Amino acid sequence: MALESDWVTADAVEASEYPDLSEKYQVYAVPLTVANEKIRIEGGLPETQFIQQILQGVARNVTKN
Amino acid sequence: MGLLRDNDRKQLQAELGKMQNPVKLVFFTQATDCDYCEITKQVLEELVPLSDKIHLQTYDFATDKPAAAQYKIARVPAIAILRLEPPAVLVAGNESPRERDYGIRYYGVPAGFEFASLVGDIMDVSLGESGLSEASKATLKQLQAPVHLQVFATPT
Repeated sequence: MALESDWVTADAVEASEYPDLSEKYQVYAVPLTVANEKIRIEGGLPETQFIQQILQGVARNVTKN
Repeated sequence: MGLLRDNDRKQLQAELGKMQNPVKLVFFTQATDCDYCEITKQVLEELVPLSDKIHLQTYDFATDKPAAAQYKIARVPAIAILRLEPPAVLVAGNESPRERDYGIRYYGVPAGFEFASLVGDIMDVSLGESGLSEASKATLKQLQAPVHLQVFATPT
């Protein structure tokens, strides 16, 4: 996704090595994807749904603020 | 003792042989208070010689503050994966390649399955190909606001 849009940045994080982050984002199961601090996707999803959930979540988040 | 087995090394070389643009790995480490920096360094030192298209630059997170700021690195060990492209305009004396930064970062030791994902990222960045469907690419092209993804995983 980061390759396809200049707006997207992507971090891969080893959860066990960064307990501070794991606690902050309440990582209980992996993989966990967190978008813009708030949108959470647990486990794997088919590509289309994954992108849809993230973009819809981000758009909602922006509207609320 | 090496971390990679001979067999893995051969497979990796074959895979990395498909790279097009060179890739620069910018590695941030720290001499003290970093449990996983040394092992990450070892992984990178075994990976980098497998392709002449992979370049490694190492910074000390504690002392190289401008570099950490430039690549927006907040913790160690960290790896930024950049593509090296020919300079836009060839001017004599200015032939250094441009860095294309897609904002892809790797935090922690790339071990086990995550090693494969690092190699996958290197390939994608080198080829400029995400492997996403055309529909997904079109959707992402319409994006007009920043999206920061953090994908948490554990070594397996």
